[in-house]
Amino acid sequence: MKRILVVGGGTGGTIVANNLAHRLHEKLVKGEIEITVVDSSSLHVYQPAYLLIPFGIMHRNEAIRSERDLLAETIKFRQERVNKIDVNNRLVKTDSSSLQYDFLVLATGAQPDYSQVPGLEKGGYDFYTLENAYKLREAIGKFEGGRLVVAVAGIPFKCPTAPMEFAFLADSYYSKLGVRDKIELDYLYPLPRPFTIPNVAEQVQKLMDDRKIKTDLLFNVESVNPEKKEITSIEGETIKYDLAVLTPPHTGSEVVRVSGLTDKGGWIPTDRYTLHVKGYDDVYAIGDATDLPVSKAGSAADFQAAVVSTNIWDNINGFPPSLRYDGRVMCFIITAIGEATILLFDYEHPPSPPPPNFACYWYKLVYNRMYWTVTAKGLLPGFGV
Amino acid sequence: MSHEEEKVKVIDARGSYCPGPLMELIRTVKQSNIGDIIEVWSSDEGSQRDIPKWTEKAGHEFLGVIHEKGYDRIRVRKTR
Ligand SMILES: Cc1cc2nc3c(=O)[nH]c(=O)nc-3n(C[C@H](O)[C@H](O)[C@H](O)COP(=O)(O)OP(=O)(O)OC[C@H]3O[C@@H](n4cnc5c(N)ncnc54)[C@H](O)[C@@H]3O)c2cc1C
Repeated sequence: MKRILVVGGGTGGTIVANNLAHRLHEKLVKGEIEITVVDSSSLHVYQPAYLLIPFGIMHRNEAIRSERDLLAETIKFRQERVNKIDVNNRLVKTDSSSLQYDFLVLATGAQPDYSQVPGLEKGGYDFYTLENAYKLREAIGKFEGGRLVVAVAGIPFKCPTAPMEFAFLADSYYSKLGVRDKIELDYLYPLPRPFTIPNVAEQVQKLMDDRKIKTDLLFNVESVNPEKKEITSIEGETIKYDLAVLTPPHTGSEVVRVSGLTDKGGWIPTDRYTLHVKGYDDVYAIGDATDLPVSKAGSAADFQAAVVSTNIWDNINGFPPSLRYDGRVMCFIITAIGEATILLFDYEHPPSPPPPNFACYWYKLVYNRMYWTVTAKGLLPGFGV
Repeated sequence: MSHEEEKVKVIDARGSYCPGPLMELIRTVKQSNIGDIIEVWSSDEGSQRDIPKWTEKAGHEFLGVIHEKGYDRIRVRKTR
């Protein structure tokens, strides 16, 4: 019997497991294969909802499902925290069990790390957990005017488009309420342009100028002073705020760090084409947990899940691996309530987004629902966004 | 190797893409002493444009670029 073990039942891990369960159904029923997903949480959260909750565009019940219910019945689900991964002995230890594997998929994701910036957690709001997204919803609703600062306090972080989308949504939200002129909206970003990819950054800069969103670039947050309501940069600037929405720096899951599987930043060194953890042919890493030079985005995890599940299937059936990951990512950029554009790019081809339009926005809203019935179910791995 | 060469802190960010090399430089400058020279090895073309811009804004000294085969060695001195 071959054992496939997936650590992390978020977006990437769930798609890999479900897709393999479809393809290997007969072998699973006969007991020739075993697929196990381990996650410390019994709940699966659709994280893109966090950006939309503060504006009332999505709600808690659309963002959460039971992981057990999302997984195919043939998959074993263990709600256990993994605390050691021993890739030399093919052993994964949780609080209550020791699990052996033939194939291991690491999909442990990324998490906010507030400790990297003094004052960050107390000084402002963010939308990187469900609880924080709701706190922010309240703050956004109560805000009556003054300076609203949207800042990125460390790269990399999950969903590189989210902070600028937040700024666009805030502009749109307050414009619709008729109070936009009482609010000064500032966007602080660590690079010399408002987004990583240069040609997209040009378009974003133009949109921000048009919407009177002031950009302060090359602003790397050093500390936040919650009492004085000030953000200080490494470059020596200090900006005052009335309401701050801060994107925290991120790091990989503790378990991959303590298991000695990461680089200095907490990311797993991963072959950019095969998605093998470097040096181990029986261990794959996907999604936010990797050090791949692509966005930490659910769509990247989805495209990578397609490669890993196909290649594991190939191996089990005696074929050589038939897919390579080409760096593909697909991201929407919501540019207003009712308007979005889309980025599709890979290692070789930069994106060329269409002008913002209603169709893209509509598709994004439809996708938010399709995630549960198509993407996470592993029915069309690699086609989601 | 000259005396100055010995004090150079090298960040090998080859193979890392925007904004990797710049972010590693910022992190290293933060942890260095005034006067230290930091050299970033980068194969990302954007570094040649972004690193001087950041150095100027942050008030440090840009010392120049040495082109090697397939990558650049970009030097900065921490001055404050
Ligand atoms: C505000 C916001 C907006 C976003 N918007 C978009 C978007 O529009 N489009 C897009 O493509 N992406 C978006 N994303 C990003 C997307 O949600 C993530 O990139 C995606 O979830 C990554 O999938 P993953 O499987 O790598 O990690 P996750 O989905 O984060 O899953 C990791 C799992 O590992 C588990 N885990 C970790 N450590 C352990 C352990 N020790 N033991 C057991 N279990 C463990 C966790 O509980 C978790 O379930 C957004 C993210 C945020 C925060």
